[in-house]
Amino acid sequence: MDLLGMLDSIWKVLAVGLLLGAGLPALFGLGLRLLGTVPAEGSSGAPVVASGFSRAFGYVCFGLCAAIALFGIVVIVFGNQLFGGH
Amino acid sequence: MEELIILLLVIVTALAFDFTNGFHDTANAMATSIATGALKPRVAVALSAVLNLVGAFLSIEVAKTVGSGIVDLDHAQGEQLMLIVFAGLIGGIIWNLLTWLLGLPSSSSHALFGGLIGAALIWGLVAGQSGVLWGGIIAKIILPALLSPVIAAIVAGVATWLVYRIARGVPEKTENRGFRWGQIGSASLVSLAHGTNDAQKTMGVIFLALIANGTLSSSSDMPLWVKVACALAIALGTYLGGWRIIRTLGKGLVEITPPQGMAAETSSAAIILTSSHLGLPLSTTHVATGSILGTGLGKRGAEVRWGVAGRMVAAWVITLPAAGLVGAACWGVGHVIGGLGGALVLFGILVALSAWIYLRSRRAPVSSENVNAEWDEPAATPAAPVSA
Repeated sequence: MDLLGMLDSIWKVLAVGLLLGAGLPALFGLGLRLLGTVPAEGSSGAPVVASGFSRAFGYVCFGLCAAIALFGIVVIVFGNQLFGGH
Repeated sequence: MEELIILLLVIVTALAFDFTNGFHDTANAMATSIATGALKPRVAVALSAVLNLVGAFLSIEVAKTVGSGIVDLDHAQGEQLMLIVFAGLIGGIIWNLLTWLLGLPSSSSHALFGGLIGAALIWGLVAGQSGVLWGGIIAKIILPALLSPVIAAIVAGVATWLVYRIARGVPEKTENRGFRWGQIGSASLVSLAHGTNDAQKTMGVIFLALIANGTLSSSSDMPLWVKVACALAIALGTYLGGWRIIRTLGKGLVEITPPQGMAAETSSAAIILTSSHLGLPLSTTHVATGSILGTGLGKRGAEVRWGVAGRMVAAWVITLPAAGLVGAACWGVGHVIGGLGGALVLFGILVALSAWIYLRSRRAPVSSENVNAEWDEPAATPAAPVSA
């Protein structure tokens, strides 16, 4: 692989790495936050259950995480056929 | 008959290398999960073993040519080729065992390539050929080795920083419990990816040995028994655990929390999968270690033991030459003695060295029981906080 081709691959790895590698945990964290019980400001600290809306979005986040992970498995199994890798 | 015995010795040695590859790399996927308690040690290695087994069978396109672009073995025939393979494997195994003894994660791929390069180099000198492709070594081994930990550290660092910002306000118990589940998922993905990538190496080596023996030609299909044997060998090795290395990665480098663990393994998985499909060979070990380091950098107040990191990098730098030296020396011994006698002597040396290393390891054993014990070294001063 020539140098230019390698540099091209490197930035792609970095880009996809950031997108999925950083994106997925961030998405997961978002899901946890939307799902989470957070004491209201100034209250006695008793946990307040997040609104139904919030929780729904939280589960959507987790669903997306699972979908991305499954996508990862599909790439492992069928990647060469899908992306014409070598 | 003599050739058959030599072939059998080489195949056994290849599977032994695959086995060491297994336990060397368990840490890459599972060290973070074991360190945070997301998985119990024995469960973690069992899970990783099963996924490696599955992954090894999933590798549809098996690389029949190991070391292509790195060594030029076109002019090596029969016994000479077999000896290069044998010597290369021994170089790889010895380096894997030594680094395991020292608890240092290091690339099994580099160990194997180093051994093959050393053997091919010596063969080339003797046979008047150029056995080694230096350009390929720089492009396919050295450059990726320099880049992968950096890329991994960046990705994992960003991931960790993002996670801590986004999950602000989530109570710690929820955070830890939730991210422990995330850890299991991401670590599983890494194990699967590892199985598909790494078992292939040994399949390619055995294929090369079969070509040398005249049993197969380069256009033959990969025999099923080779696939099965390599898949089983790497899975068994994975199950054994490589606890010394797990301990270093899980406890010695950075004190890891569940969010960091998930960030590290997800980052590793993403990078490994992307790079393997772009044909850019990155070592799983370099990526995994870089990721763990990155999570230490991405979290405020996290401590990174730079001394441990330094030792790892030193090991990585000398992997190629060290394994190469062993490979070259073994080739020399085998060539001088010649034939079956040479092969038996080499095998004997391998067994003796392995036994010695194993006995040394028993002086300070690490197992599933003490893998999470406190690391005694003084930690470096906390890494500078990443600017918000």
